Amino acid sequence: MQEVTKTLGSFFVYAILAVFAQNTVFSRALGVSRLIKLVDDSTVDSLTFGALLCAIQLMSATLAYFVNVLIIQVAWLNSIKAYIRPLAMVLCAAVGFFVILGFIVLVFKLESAKNVVAVLPMATFNCCIIGTLLITTTQNFTLMQTMGFAFGSGVGYILAVLVVTEGQRKLQNRSVPATLKGMPITLIYIGILALAIYGFTGHMPTF
Amino acid sequence: MKGDRLKFLSENMESFSHADRLFLNNPVVMQGLGLAPLVVAATSMKNAVILAVAVFLLLMPTRVVAAFLSRFAYFRFRGFTYSVTASVLYIGVMYIINLLYPSADILSVGLYLPLLVVEPIIIKRYERPQKERVRTAFKKGILTSVGFIIVLVIIGFLRELLGSGSLYGIQLLQNAPLPFLRMTSGGFIILGIVIALWRAGVNAYKKYINMGAKRYAGSN
Repeated sequence: MQEVTKTLGSFFVYAILAVFAQNTVFSRALGVSRLIKLVDDSTVDSLTFGALLCAIQLMSATLAYFVNVLIIQVAWLNSIKAYIRPLAMVLCAAVGFFVILGFIVLVFKLESAKNVVAVLPMATFNCCIIGTLLITTTQNFTLMQTMGFAFGSGVGYILAVLVVTEGQRKLQNRSVPATLKGMPITLIYIGILALAIYGFTGHMPTF
Repeated sequence: MKGDRLKFLSENMESFSHADRLFLNNPVVMQGLGLAPLVVAATSMKNAVILAVAVFLLLMPTRVVAAFLSRFAYFRFRGFTYSVTASVLYIGVMYIINLLYPSADILSVGLYLPLLVVEPIIIKRYERPQKERVRTAFKKGILTSVGFIIVLVIIGFLRELLGSGSLYGIQLLQNAPLPFLRMTSGGFIILGIVIALWRAGVNAYKKYINMGAKRYAGSN
């Protein structure tokens, strides 16, 4: 019983760590380019994007954990791990991509889920997913920590998208100088939020 | 500037600004690509130069190889094709970077070097379904790299000078004027300000051309 509580505890601690203290956007700026596009783009539903991102993140991070164990154990792979790690992580994310794609095609008809399929590559091959996989593998997280961190990163990314979308309404105010309108003021806004989170946690995460 | 030239520029401004990846349509300033390394890793000129070398070696070859591969029906998943191409080419790029720089310098860039393989600046083209000619991919790849490197060096320069008071590791100022630029939040804010100033410059240039062309048309 104690083991189960301990394992679940480490899952939740790492999930909360990834949502707030080490938020992908506010502390490591992963996936900012996509976030800025997403906030402006009304054709892509942020929540659909977030749900896909979370599902792929969780699946590929679990897979990446086992791939990383394999890389560390095989001596010749271990000697070239700095070179092949991005390739291994991209392939892990691609497995998540094809599993979700297959699921959508089988469960829903492709025609009705066309919009979701169009968003899928953007939700897979982005810095948020691969960045999280690289963090969990280079910092040697345990399986539960990896899963917690991956889930938390996905939720943290959705939270960041919602916060920035909410801020966007105020940033379109007339009192914002014309030069700053659009991307510059959004970046400054994210910067101030990042500063607030830094003040809350008190340290910079390693990268 | 001569009147004829102004008129010509004003009439073709749209196509000029579309083709110009260095100033008028800089990929970072106008489209917001490749922000992650700029915001976090480019805290000094040395980091900026390492990232610049990596982007220069990775961007154009990725774009050319992926544009070529996308012609075949087997590679219909363009996002997958572009990212896998970039990560295979990254093996070679990392080898060259390892030869050029000591491992302590590479470590200071952290995960932003391997992360380049999915950075939008490198694989953005996959979002457009039209096939790209290899020659166009070559040309645009080089121009986009140079456009990105210009912003990277500017940000690295400003953050190191104002954040640490030094330049390429040499201490110039006794006290750093804005130490918070070394942090992620400082990176966001300085990038926002640089982009705002750059865009203001682009607008001023376009206005100057248009006004000049009108004045020329009025005098004739």
